[in-house]
Amino acid sequence: MLIFDQLRKNDPQLRAVALAALAGLGVLLAGLWWVQVISGRQYQSNLETQSFRTIRVPAMRGSILDRNGVPLAENQPAYHVSLYLEELRPQFDAAFTVEIARVRAGLQAALEQREAQLGRGLSREEKKRFSLGLKEKNAIRQQVRYAVASNVVFEVGRRVKVPLALDRPDFERHYQARLALPYPVLRYLKAEQIARFEEQPLRMPGVDLEIQSTRVYPHDGSAAHLLGSLRRDDSSTDGEESFFSYRLADYRGELGIEFGFDRQLRGTAGAKSVLVNNVGYRQTEHVWSQIEPGSNVVLTLDLRIQQAAERALQSGPRGANTAGAAVVMDVNSGDILALVSSPTLNPNHFVQGFPRGEWKRITDVHAQKNRATQENYAPGSIFKIVVALAALEAGLNPHATLSVPANPMRPTRGYYQLGRRTIRDLAPPGTYDFKRALKLSSNTYFITQALRTGPERIVNLARRFHFGERFGLPTRQETGGNLPALERVRGRWTDGNTANLSIGQDPVLVTPLQVAVMTSAVANGGKVLWPRLVQRIEPVDTFSSQPPTVFPAGRVRDELGVKPGNLAILAEAMLADTEDSDGTGRHVRDHAPLEGLRICAKTGTAEVQDEDNAADGQTTWFASFAPYEKPKYAVVVMVENGASGGGTCGPIAGKIYQALMELEKTAPNGQLAEARPKGAR
Amino acid sequence: MRSGLLFSESQSRIDRLQIGALTGLMVIGALFVYSATMVSESAAVAAWYSQSWFRQIVWYVLGSGAGVVVCLVDYRTLARWSYVFYWGAILLLVAVLIPGIGSMRFGARRWIDLGFFQFQPSEFAKLAFILAQANFLSRPPDELRIGGNFLKALGLLALPFLLIMKEPDLGSALVFLPTGLVMMFVAGVPGRFLTRLLGIVGILGALFLVDVLFAPPNWQIKLEEYQRRRLLVYFGIQQTPPSDASKVDRERLRKQQFDDSHNVRQALISVGSGGLTGKGWRQGTQNALGYLPRAVAHNDFIFSVIAEEQGFVGSVVVLTLYGVVLFCGIRVAGQARDRLGKTVAVGVVTLLFSHVFINIGMNIRLMPVTGVPLPLLSYGGSSVLSSLIAMGMLQNIYIYRKAY
Repeated sequence: MLIFDQLRKNDPQLRAVALAALAGLGVLLAGLWWVQVISGRQYQSNLETQSFRTIRVPAMRGSILDRNGVPLAENQPAYHVSLYLEELRPQFDAAFTVEIARVRAGLQAALEQREAQLGRGLSREEKKRFSLGLKEKNAIRQQVRYAVASNVVFEVGRRVKVPLALDRPDFERHYQARLALPYPVLRYLKAEQIARFEEQPLRMPGVDLEIQSTRVYPHDGSAAHLLGSLRRDDSSTDGEESFFSYRLADYRGELGIEFGFDRQLRGTAGAKSVLVNNVGYRQTEHVWSQIEPGSNVVLTLDLRIQQAAERALQSGPRGANTAGAAVVMDVNSGDILALVSSPTLNPNHFVQGFPRGEWKRITDVHAQKNRATQENYAPGSIFKIVVALAALEAGLNPHATLSVPANPMRPTRGYYQLGRRTIRDLAPPGTYDFKRALKLSSNTYFITQALRTGPERIVNLARRFHFGERFGLPTRQETGGNLPALERVRGRWTDGNTANLSIGQDPVLVTPLQVAVMTSAVANGGKVLWPRLVQRIEPVDTFSSQPPTVFPAGRVRDELGVKPGNLAILAEAMLADTEDSDGTGRHVRDHAPLEGLRICAKTGTAEVQDEDNAADGQTTWFASFAPYEKPKYAVVVMVENGASGGGTCGPIAGKIYQALMELEKTAPNGQLAEARPKGAR
Repeated sequence: MRSGLLFSESQSRIDRLQIGALTGLMVIGALFVYSATMVSESAAVAAWYSQSWFRQIVWYVLGSGAGVVVCLVDYRTLARWSYVFYWGAILLLVAVLIPGIGSMRFGARRWIDLGFFQFQPSEFAKLAFILAQANFLSRPPDELRIGGNFLKALGLLALPFLLIMKEPDLGSALVFLPTGLVMMFVAGVPGRFLTRLLGIVGILGALFLVDVLFAPPNWQIKLEEYQRRRLLVYFGIQQTPPSDASKVDRERLRKQQFDDSHNVRQALISVGSGGLTGKGWRQGTQNALGYLPRAVAHNDFIFSVIAEEQGFVGSVVVLTLYGVVLFCGIRVAGQARDRLGKTVAVGVVTLLFSHVFINIGMNIRLMPVTGVPLPLLSYGGSSVLSSLIAMGMLQNIYIYRKAY
C-alpha cells in the first residue's frame, strides 16, 4: 500500500497507529457486514413486523336493486369498538408481575408458618407444595388478563354510557384462537355513542373505533326470502392470499339472491399492508392486491308491488303471522314482479344479531321457508285449469250439461259416487255446463270429465306446464312439487287416483310460483315461460367498460300446444268466476273497487292430510290473471289454513290488483312491467 | 529549485487525495442531512435557507474557509500560541458550566447560545488540546522520560476531560483519552509510563462500570441518570424494580427501559434492513416513520440513515472515505518536518478515528450510545467547523513538510 511504503523507513510507532486504525476500520467493516449482509434479512423482517400489518379487505358487496333501481340490499358504514389485544399486552404483563409477586409472598408466608409449626426446615419434597407450577402461573396469567381487559371494557362502557361486561369464556376463546384480531366489545354504535366515545380527549390504549361496511336491508322484511341472508365468513376464497394479520368482517351469501349471485355480489377481496409509525398510527397504506367491488344485481321485482302484496297477504286471517305466499308475474315476459312469503323475517338480523326471542319465533312459524318456491302444496281446485284444458282438447263440449245429484248427507251440496267411495263436493247439486262447473268448482263435473279424458292426457298436459320440475332458481330455496310419472299413470292407476288428480289432491303437489307460471301460460296464449327473477348483473361503476350480464326476458320453456279457442273458453269461464254473483272468486272485489279491471281466476281449497291421513287444515288458493282483454299480470295467492280459496285468498288478490291499478295510473305510459332500457335506473 | 518542486506533479503542495475524500464526505453529509430532515412536514415547509441541509452546507463553506485560514500560518507559529488556545478553551469550558452562559439542552450544559449558532466549546477544546499537548510533547525525547513531565502531560489531558465530564458529555470526554495516549505514544513517551497509565485507566474504567452498573444507589458515582441507563442498555442489563415499588413505578420503569433500548434497537433495524444495496435515497422508512427518533436521526444517528438508504455498499463507501482521510493523515504524520507536526497529525487522526469508531460502533451496537457526532456527516456547526479546522491543520503540516 502506498502509505505503508512511505512509512517503511519511518518510526514503528506510526506503523502501529496505522495498523490500529486499519484494524479499527476492519472491525467496523466486519460489524457492518454482519449486520447488513448476514443478518440483513432478519432486521428486514423486524422492520416489517414493527411497521407493517397486512389486512384482508373484503370488496364492497354489490347492491341488490329492484327493477326501478331501488336498493333492496346495500352497504352502509357501521361503527364498532374493538380491543386491540397486542396493545394491551404490556398491561397484561405488568399486572401479571404484580400478581405473581403477591401470590409468591403469600406462599412464602405459609411456608414459614408451616416451618415454625413443625419447628424444622421442610424437605425439598414438602416445599414443592409451596411453589408455583406452570399450570398455576398460566391460571394467574389468564386471570389478570381478564381483569385488565375487563377494566378496559368497563371504561369503554362508562364512556359511551352503556353498561358493558366482558364475557370471560368468549374473551378467553378469542385470546387463544384469534389473538391477532381485534376483539369486538360493542357493535353497531349509535350516533350519540360514537360522539361520546370520540369526544374523550385521551385515546384509551388498546381500544379503537372501527368502521366497517355493513350489509343493510333498508326495507327490513320486504322480499326478505328472495333476498336471502348472509353468514359471517372471513375466509379466503380460492386464488386469494391466505395469510393476513387482520381480516375485516366479510360475509357470504347463504340463501336467496345473496347466495345465488354471491360470487358476483362479493367481488374480489383485496389485500393491503398498512405502514404504522413508531406509536402505531397508520401512515400509509399499500394495496398490493386490488379490490374489485362486487356487481349490482338488478331484480325483476318492483318494490312497490312487492310491498303491496306483502301488505295484502298480511291482511290475511292471522295478520303478520298469516302463513302463505303471493306471486305477481308478468304473463308476457315471465318477470316476477313480487314474490312474497309470509311470515317474514328481518335479514338485517343475520348481520347484526337477533333480538331476544326472535329466533324462536322464526323457527316456530318456519319463517325462513320461502313458501312461494320452497314448499309443496296440494293445488286443490286450481288444478282444474289443467284438467279443463285437457278435457277441452280431448273434445269436451263446453255446452254439454251434466246433472249433479244432491248429497244425501248434506242436501245443499253435490257429491260423486266412485264405487264405494263418496267424494264430497262443495258445489250445489244441479245442472252444470263447463262454465258453471268451473266458476262453482264442481268436483263432480271435473271428476266425470277427468275420467272421460283419461289420466294420461291430463298428466301429459301437466308435464307441459312443467309441474313436478324445478325451475333451477338461483336461491337455494326450491322444491319441484310432484306430478305422477306417465309410467305410473299407465300402470297401477285407479279411477280413484284420477279423481284425486282432477281435484288437485294427493299425488300432485305444486309451488305458488309454478301456479303463477301455469296461470301466465293460460293468459298469454299457451307459452310456458321461464320465470325471471334477475334482469341483469351490472358493474357498480357506471363508466365501466365491462358490459352488464343481461338475462333475457320472455324465455319460453314450452308451448302448451292447445287450441286457442279452448284457452278462450277457459278464460271466459275464469272471468265468470270473479264476475258472476255465484262465482267462487267474486270475493276478489270485497275490499277493492277494481273498476274496469276484468279478472280471470280459479279458486282452490285443498285438504291437507297429515301423515296419518287425518285432516290437517286446508291450503287455499287464488290463481288469477288480468286484464281479461289483454292479460298483463298473473296474481297467485296461497294461504295455509285459510277458510276457502275465494273467501281467504280472493280479497288478498283483490288488494294486489288494486295496488297494480294505482301504480299503473302513475306510471309514465301505464306500463308497469315494461322492461326498461339497459342501464336506466 | 524550490519553486519548481512546489508545483510539480509528484510533490503537490496540498494533499489532494485527502481533500477529495473530504469533499466526498461533505457531499454525502449534505445529501443525507437533507434525507433525514425533509421527512417531517414542518421541516419541508420551512424556507430553504433555514433548512438543516442548507445550514449544513453553509457550515461546510465556513469550515473550509477556516481550514484554509489555518493553512496560511505555519503550524509552528500556531503551536507557539497553543497555550493561549488551550487556556481559552478551558475558560470556555468553565464558562459553559455557568448557568447564565451555558445553555441547557437535553439535560446537559454543553452549548453557548450565540443566537445564530449554538456554540459547543468541547469541539474546539479537542483541537486546542491536541495543539497544546503536541507542543508540550515536542520537547526533546530525553525530557519525556522524566516522570514530572509525563504527569504534566497527563494534567493537560485531565483538565478538559474532567470539565467536559462535568457538562456532562461522556462521549466527547472519552475521545480525549485515546487521542492523548496515542500522541504520547508517538511522541516517544516511554512505554512503561503508558502501560502503567493504561493499566490504571483500565482498572479505573472497570471499577467505574461495576460501580455504575451494580453498586447500590448510595455508592454510585454521581452520573446523570440517562448516562447510567445507556450503559445498562449497552451491557444488556435489565433493571429489577425494588420489591416495594408501586405499580405505577414499575410501569414507568418498564417504559423507560423500553425507551432506552429503543434508539439502539431502531438504529440496528435501520442499518440491518438496509441490506446490501439499501432502499434508495429518501426511501428509508425507519427515519420517515419516526422509529428512529427525529431528534437524533440527522446528527448522532445519521449513519443509520445512510446505511438504511444505501445499504452495505453505502457503508463501505463512507468507511473508505474515512479510511482515505485517516491514512492520508498518517502519511502526513510520517512526512512531517518535525516531531511537533507529527504529533499534531497523529492527534488529529486519532481524534477523527475515535469519533468514527464510536459513532458507527454505536449504530451497530459495538459501542454504547454516547453523543459523539460522526465528523462531517452529522448535522452541527461546531462539529463541522472543528473537523474542518482539524483537516486544515493536517494540510498545514503537509504543506510545510520535510521536502521543503
